[in-house]
Amino acid sequence: MTFADIVNLTLNGLISGMLVALPALAVSLVYGLARFPNAATGDVVSAGGYAGLFAYTASGSLLAAGAGAAAIGALVGLASYFLAFRAILRRSVITSLLTSIGVGFVIRALLGVMFGHQPRAFDMPITRAVRWHGVMLNPTDGQLVLVTLAVLAVVFTLLYGTSMGRKMRALADDADLARVSGIGVERSMVTMWALTGAVCGIAGMMVGVRTVVSPDAGWETLLPAFAAAVVGGLGNPLGAVVGAILLGVLQEWSTPLVGFVYKIALAYVVMLLVLLIRPQGLFNRVQGVR
Amino acid sequence: MDRRKFVTLTSAALGLAPWARSSWAQQGVFRIGSLNPITGAGSPYGTGMLKAIQIGSAEVNDAGGAGGVKLEVYAEDSQTSPQAAVLGAKKLIGVNQVQAMLGVWSSGESLAVIPLTNDAGMILMNTAGAPALSAPPVNAKLLSFRFQATNDRFGRAFAQIAKREGFKRPALMAFNNASGIGNTEGFRKAWEAQGGKIVASVVYEPNRPTYRSEVQQVLRANPDVIVTGSYLTDTELLLRAWYETGQQVKWIVPGWAAGPELIKAVGAQVAEGMISVESISDEGAPSYESFVSRFAQQTGMHAQDNVYATMAYDEVILLALALQAVGPNATGAVLAAKIHELGNPGGTEVYRFADGKKLLAAGKKVTYVGASSRLNFDQYNDVTPDFAASFAQSGQFVRKYVVKL
Amino acid sequence: MLDYALTLAVVTLIYVLLSFALDLQYGFTGMINFGVAGFFGAGAYTSALLTMRAGWPAPLAFAAAMIVCGAIAWPLGKIALRLRDDYLAIVTLGFSEIIRLVLVQEQWLTNGVQGIPGVPRLWPAWTTAHSELFLLGMLCVANVAVVLFLRHLTHSPYGRLIQAIRDDEVAVKALGKNPARFKTQVLVIGGAITGLAGAFFAHYMTYIVPDQFVPLITFYVWMAVIMGGVARLSGSVAGAALLVVFLEGSRFLRGVMPWVSDDAMASVQIGAVGLVLILFMRWRPEGLFGRRGRV
Repeated sequence: MTFADIVNLTLNGLISGMLVALPALAVSLVYGLARFPNAATGDVVSAGGYAGLFAYTASGSLLAAGAGAAAIGALVGLASYFLAFRAILRRSVITSLLTSIGVGFVIRALLGVMFGHQPRAFDMPITRAVRWHGVMLNPTDGQLVLVTLAVLAVVFTLLYGTSMGRKMRALADDADLARVSGIGVERSMVTMWALTGAVCGIAGMMVGVRTVVSPDAGWETLLPAFAAAVVGGLGNPLGAVVGAILLGVLQEWSTPLVGFVYKIALAYVVMLLVLLIRPQGLFNRVQGVR
Repeated sequence: MDRRKFVTLTSAALGLAPWARSSWAQQGVFRIGSLNPITGAGSPYGTGMLKAIQIGSAEVNDAGGAGGVKLEVYAEDSQTSPQAAVLGAKKLIGVNQVQAMLGVWSSGESLAVIPLTNDAGMILMNTAGAPALSAPPVNAKLLSFRFQATNDRFGRAFAQIAKREGFKRPALMAFNNASGIGNTEGFRKAWEAQGGKIVASVVYEPNRPTYRSEVQQVLRANPDVIVTGSYLTDTELLLRAWYETGQQVKWIVPGWAAGPELIKAVGAQVAEGMISVESISDEGAPSYESFVSRFAQQTGMHAQDNVYATMAYDEVILLALALQAVGPNATGAVLAAKIHELGNPGGTEVYRFADGKKLLAAGKKVTYVGASSRLNFDQYNDVTPDFAASFAQSGQFVRKYVVKL
Repeated sequence: MLDYALTLAVVTLIYVLLSFALDLQYGFTGMINFGVAGFFGAGAYTSALLTMRAGWPAPLAFAAAMIVCGAIAWPLGKIALRLRDDYLAIVTLGFSEIIRLVLVQEQWLTNGVQGIPGVPRLWPAWTTAHSELFLLGMLCVANVAVVLFLRHLTHSPYGRLIQAIRDDEVAVKALGKNPARFKTQVLVIGGAITGLAGAFFAHYMTYIVPDQFVPLITFYVWMAVIMGGVARLSGSVAGAALLVVFLEGSRFLRGVMPWVSDDAMASVQIGAVGLVLILFMRWRPEGLFGRRGRV
């Protein structure tokens, strides 16, 4: 294993981490305000893939594809809130979690009925990487990183730089206190669901660009997203992103040692270890146990 | 509504449905169970397989039926899961009372379902690759027919092609399932038997967003060719990861992954020079041409992208010819013997059901030349087709030569 | 028809066992365990391997499956103790996946992704029909035994204690009891019952492969427990039956909706299951047999 190989592994990990970062962010945001892990996240990602594909085929521009994916993702997120989650949010975690599983199934079914199960691909040329002393730098990856960073920038600006974001963070921090202080719950909720939907939608487009678009495409990001969000601390958006990248890199580094099957298990093992040492996740403050 | 009423109504509704269906079951009908992977890992192929079976049945019924009966197709989704396949098979056998099980795709599903079809004394036709399906005790009754070459045979064909092309340093990449590993291990056995060495071998997990690390590991060993046991989606990812590195390597990929769809996905430049290996029938066999056009017409998909659909079509036609020969009331064993005979040389070659029916009615011996390959069932009822090596040139796969094992 | 009904009965009873185990862990003790599938698989493989490779008689292999799964549950318990509910769900999910990946990778033991065909029926010398009936009978016996055991457990002071842990863990600690010990025990007992269900599954299907033990199975068991009504053993039975009715019943939707194409039908089935779940959670979250106001 040369130094270049290690750098390549690190870069690979960064990229796969980035692909998980947006869904993980969505999981943490939903958890923050709605207090449950949203198992429909993966299926909103799949929906985003289709939206991005159609927008791209119609316009030829990735930017338009991203916008389309975000818009549809937001719509799906809002629809899931108004049609399914709103009525049951005050109930137990398990009720919400199971509802989200149901919502995920419904989204997947709709995608399957509308578009069939044949996987579809984006019609994009593959580019060669630039070699620099054995390290491989890929322009497509660069695009991926830029898009992810752009989305993250928008999300964090919203959360930390606007009054709506402040309200959302207050709600996430302590819902009762926030309510008593007069912060409108409904508006924050709606914003959050639209936002997380949009984030998932864009993630879906990126997954679609790098792999394929199919009704099951997003499901594969769900468990890694959960693991990343937990490692970072459920409810902590920055934690989710860092968790995703950290897990991605650790997984790739472990490959020479444990092989390609156990590399996947590593994410869960790391999650277990982190929680053993810091049960609230890496970036969360200790909160009162239930 | 209260709980009791709800439960009663639901049970009643579901209790009625199966009875309603089976009371419509008529005389003069042979019921085929089509157990396809509409969802799950096999979903790229399942819908096509079902359509192919329906196309085949329609062809048979249009020609006046087989042995005096019409074919009726009952479809169930196997979800590419052995457990769901068992439930689907039990339902097809118990409720729909099918008399043959067709279109089963994967090794896992076939291995799970074959005890059921054996117990029911009925024909099972599948496209699985696992060696376990051939030997006793699994197929001791010889009621199961495999319409796809075993992984072993594929591996041997790959090895012959690699040798012929002059490759010296092959590497293996296998999708982590029975079929993928079966292919590459088949290659390894054949390659090492002729004194060669494998320079690198990687088994990769399904459904990952990228296989960069896996491909990079293989490339580190400087192979001149990479032999895969892979499917469409992952092959596309492998090629992407490889192309980015700019390293010179050739690829030998199974035909079910390497087709027009793959070239479309990665682009002509990336695909240039890739070798696609699949089992074939005669050049321009009428059965293939006619099926491909009907398939495109009814589904809008290329049959070249779904070899399993073509195999499923053959399953129906062959079954129908056997029914024509021995009549619909024959036992499974008699039917199986006839199917074996019809798939092997010795009779007049036919490519369409109607032609075969005419000859059989006149008491002649018939050999059905399949659209997917010449069947030539061996002693385990596995097809022993020839293989074609096709090379991707300027965005098209061009068949160069044929390999006989 | 009868054969299909028998299969449904076997599948239902296996899900009932799984629901009992989960209900003990969640309904009575309040632990959100999403690792069911992993233990299910571990039990299936243990029994299959012992009967096939080591020639053990089935009853011993079944017992071994229970012991192995209980043993695996113990470290999970230790880890889980420090975690809140929501984290526990994801951690147990990860644990389940780790078990599945071990089953995939350790080919020398499990045959990996090729799976293990030919798991012996109970008993190999009998005809299939007789074997299946016998297995159904044994499954009934197992279910009754587990019901009796759990009823005894949950009606005892032990049962009151674990329910107290579910309702107010801090109060239990204040009384001087250590909830950690009991939670681990419940995970072990539940794990053993799940392992038993896995053994039955292996010897019924006669073919097992790691791909069958995926989180989706865990979701199904949760559906059964919640729809039936938590903390009620009768609820677990009703929930499992309801689950099988929905999973298999959605096949028969085709008769009701003939205008849907066959491939779209598969999607309609998934959608129907999802819709049922959403509606149940909305309108009857306490389940069929549960008590209102407990959610």
